[in-house]
Amino acid sequence: MAVPDKDADLVRSAVGGDEEAFTELVRRHKGTVLRSAARFARNHAELEDLGQETFLRVYRDLRSFRGDAPFGHWLSRITVHVCYDALRKRRREEKDVSLEVLAAPVPDPSTGNGPSAQLARMILDQAMSRLKPEDRLVITLFELEDRSVREVAELTGWSETRVKVRAFRARQALKRSIGGDDER
Amino acid sequence: MNDKRHDRRDVELDRFFALARQASPDISGVERNFETRVIARIREWRERQEPWYAWAWRLAPVFLALTLLLAGWSLFYSPVRPADPVATLASGTQEVALLNNLTGD
Repeated sequence: MAVPDKDADLVRSAVGGDEEAFTELVRRHKGTVLRSAARFARNHAELEDLGQETFLRVYRDLRSFRGDAPFGHWLSRITVHVCYDALRKRRREEKDVSLEVLAAPVPDPSTGNGPSAQLARMILDQAMSRLKPEDRLVITLFELEDRSVREVAELTGWSETRVKVRAFRARQALKRSIGGDDER
Repeated sequence: MNDKRHDRRDVELDRFFALARQASPDISGVERNFETRVIARIREWRERQEPWYAWAWRLAPVFLALTLLLAGWSLFYSPVRPADPVATLASGTQEVALLNNLTGD
């Protein structure tokens, strides 16, 4: 027996003007959207904006959802595009970002003494803020969200080759930022 | 990626990524009542996106008043008409003919 797709039912109702159905869609997927957007947001206010913008676009484009793929996939693509737009907008602002945090002692993997997860994330955020928006998007999806090249390509709408090239460039740039000057 | 170069910097970077993956972002503050704020924003957006005919309906009383005003004016306005319209037209024609004669057209 086929399992009824709750999301598809809610989308149909929401397209028909049922506001409560759309609220339920937001309630069901807000966690996923916000966790994904949090990888790109600098603070809670920005995260709120990214989340709201994502669901506003979902609402606007709801009629274009054909239902041939799960609603979650479609939503993820919109989330990625909203975050990418935000990265591009922010690009100029972050050019002059302070890089003092990158001067923090680099952890020595051999001793096992390293930064905490939060500190690692902070250092990475700072380093990634210097990347081009395309590179940052790809490396975040690829390394932090643990997605495959194919998934990243589907989410961004770019070719797998382009994704691989972007990921490679981002890694090179991050190694230069985080790894220090010892090998120059 | 299969072609990752596992030199020391790669190892360090992978370690950073692994740690950062563990640091699940705190979204609890934003998640609370998020749907309420989304719906409020959508309503605000819908209000701003009113179609042109919504404005047309709002302007309907103004158009109605204008129509009534014009209808009343056309009913009660009776301008003084010249006794001989042909003479009026002819006088205008004479002026044009005189002007053409003077300018040589």
